Amino acid sequence: MNRLVNGLRAACAFVLLAALAAPGARAALAPWSALAGKTVLLVTGGAESPEPNDDARVARHLRKLGFTVRTADAAAPASAAAGASLIVLSSTANAHELGDKYADVPVPVFTWNTYDYPNLGLTGPVLHRDYEVIDPVQHYADSFAVLYAYGANITSEISRAVGLKPQLFGTLYLEPETAGWGRPGPGGTVIADFFGSRSHAAVFTYERDATLADGRVAPARRVAFYLGNDDFHLLTAVHGPAAKDPNLRSWAIGRKLFDAALRWAVSPPPPIPTYDPAAIDAGIRSVAHGKRVLFVERVHGGEGHRSDANMVAHLRSLGFTVVVADQTAPQSVARGMSLVMISGTCSKWKLANKYDEVRLPLISLEGLLSDSLHFTGRDRYRDYGEHGELLESDDPPEDYLDIVGAWSPMAAGLKPGLVRFTYHPGVLKWAWPLPDATVIATLPGEPHEDAIFGYPKGARMAGGFIAPARRALLPTDNPSYDDMTPQGRALFDAVVLWTIGG
Amino acid sequence: MRIRSRIARAGAVLAALAAATGVALAGPFPYRVQHRIALTGTAPVRALAAGPGAQHVYAAVGDEVRSFDLTGQAGSRVKLPGVVTGLAAGAGDTLYAVVGAPARLVILSVRPLHVVVSVSLHAGAPSAVVFDPVADELFAESQAGHSVTRLDPGTGRRLGVVRLQGELMQMASNGRGTLYLANAERNALDVIDADRMAFSGDIPLARCRAPSGLAMDTLGRRLFVGCGNGRELIVDADLGYTFVTLPIQRAASLQAAFAFHPLGHAGWKGGTFVAGGSEVDAIRMYAFVRYAGGGRLALTRPATALASNPAAGELWLAEAPRAAAGADDEGAGPQLLVLGPSCAEASR
Repeated sequence: MNRLVNGLRAACAFVLLAALAAPGARAALAPWSALAGKTVLLVTGGAESPEPNDDARVARHLRKLGFTVRTADAAAPASAAAGASLIVLSSTANAHELGDKYADVPVPVFTWNTYDYPNLGLTGPVLHRDYEVIDPVQHYADSFAVLYAYGANITSEISRAVGLKPQLFGTLYLEPETAGWGRPGPGGTVIADFFGSRSHAAVFTYERDATLADGRVAPARRVAFYLGNDDFHLLTAVHGPAAKDPNLRSWAIGRKLFDAALRWAVSPPPPIPTYDPAAIDAGIRSVAHGKRVLFVERVHGGEGHRSDANMVAHLRSLGFTVVVADQTAPQSVARGMSLVMISGTCSKWKLANKYDEVRLPLISLEGLLSDSLHFTGRDRYRDYGEHGELLESDDPPEDYLDIVGAWSPMAAGLKPGLVRFTYHPGVLKWAWPLPDATVIATLPGEPHEDAIFGYPKGARMAGGFIAPARRALLPTDNPSYDDMTPQGRALFDAVVLWTIGG
Repeated sequence: MRIRSRIARAGAVLAALAAATGVALAGPFPYRVQHRIALTGTAPVRALAAGPGAQHVYAAVGDEVRSFDLTGQAGSRVKLPGVVTGLAAGAGDTLYAVVGAPARLVILSVRPLHVVVSVSLHAGAPSAVVFDPVADELFAESQAGHSVTRLDPGTGRRLGVVRLQGELMQMASNGRGTLYLANAERNALDVIDADRMAFSGDIPLARCRAPSGLAMDTLGRRLFVGCGNGRELIVDADLGYTFVTLPIQRAASLQAAFAFHPLGHAGWKGGTFVAGGSEVDAIRMYAFVRYAGGGRLALTRPATALASNPAAGELWLAEAPRAAAGADDEGAGPQLLVLGPSCAEASR
């Protein structure tokens, strides 16, 4: 029996490691050939669709990609999606008719019905703050501005598929056009944005099991795209000799982005991790041998010294070789290491910008280093901060985290929603990372105060810095490690396991 | 009265919406036939060209080049060594003609109309000629030889040849060293680097079958492609990107011409005219990103050539000879149609 349990555990560890090895720890896009023949339900306004519209063109395009297309009117019941592999919601469907009927359907949804975003939980409910449709009649000047968008994320599968760069690109062909934007919740991934603002996402996604903006959990993948009723045919593309120019190729990517996002939506998502601390433990042990961890702390410090010692002991018990360095030691001590972990006992002032460019995976336990490590912007209290620090924070101590990225192996298989991180309320740090980061947990009720997140290698971080290896934030303040619940410890280990993978 | 004001208001709203959203409404064909000129013989008019100064139009009829004034009055004519398959107005008083057999480029002066020089061509029987006045480049196409030859506009000397595959149809030059050809067999536009006379790639034409008519707005960098399956594609030449598709007639061999202010300085900003079957289609340009169908004119016979003469506000068309008619049958020969602005356009 024990052998069976151990075998299963080893299998779990293998799956976990395989997931961690993938770029960004996400599943790859399925080849088009694997998607051919799948059924797409295209929901339009039917006879009530505004004219002109591109629904027929979209249907033709989907068929050309190999899908079998079934159409339904906005008024059709959600059961219309039975047997479909993908639901596509056109903006021609009346959002009030659509309501939230597809919100809980465990089928991927690809939508450009901006007014329906709140019904699906993709954004908050407030027009102009959480979502908006720019159109040439109401917003003539802005309808030119939406002909351009910025690549916000360069490491997602969609971004990699189109070679998205952190720069401007052409969304639609040159006419003042209708386009929508939304502000996703922290569980969402912004792929491209308007106006250089991640709060004005042109294209954004939710992985299956990610927490939506309204707190519900995505039952399948969700994609929001910036199109209007009749501008599918104006999605940018380049052909002929001009396509040999790499700048033009990375400029006119609207159609490629549409196709890649569509393909991502309908590709199989990664398996949902299960909460199994022993499997994570086994996973770490299988990779720890021969790996050297540089643990940077305030040597012989006061508060937190015991916690630091216990973390070091834990890492050693897993099989790592741990070298402890004082915060004032030169960065060269990282040479030959496999992972750098910066303790919350370190003083930002004394650390003096070290380790930001180190080409090793790095975990910061100190959220206040988030600006110097390029995790976020430079505005303390807006871009990063802390809860519960007496005299330094207006916010009360906290002991819970809100899991919003349950799909990621960094979430240790914990279910979406609140999880008790420490036994007692204490200081918890946070930062608001850029769209390339995968956010695992926020502080409760604070969607932009992200307590656990990770940047994959190659991610665009603050100030245009490109992550030379994985980067992660854990919110443990000086003594918190000793106060962690088993769930907190599992998160700690899962983040270590993910980070050392790249 | 109330109804009328409502209609007016609705019209104003529609117009505002159209202006704001880029949706333009198709209107009536902007020209009407002002003169109809019956030509003798059974040889079709294979090409038309508005001459320098816009005071005359030249027609390739059999083995002759004939001139006509703006009212359609026949002027001088000159006989060439074979059937004239293409005509193009050059710089100054120059006119270019290509002859199929024997394969020759003929450089003519139009004051008076006479041959200046005749040069042999060696890359197949020429089927068309195009002159780019901005780049000062001259090209002769050979459908039979699957080739394009670049020639010196002053002497006719051969500067380079490119061999192509497929069925080569109308050419258009962009004034910046690039030549485009509609390729009816490959459903694409062939792109030629005129400096190197080398094929630099093709522009695919989505849902366009057998493209044959091709015209270019060199300022807006737009290509107008007439397709055999009844579609007119408007392509951004810089991106190879088709951004407008409009319905036109279905015909196997189309000719297209673009002009700014084709009706003279009042009226349309720009227009493309496509002829081939027994109809002429107009595409109206409202802005560089906004186009709409500009109406259709029915012809009595298939069109064989067209030329825009914007300085005179005219469009010239050639109709084919009547099928199975004898040379002596009255009215059986080809006809030239001189089109001027319709009453609606003239009153603007």
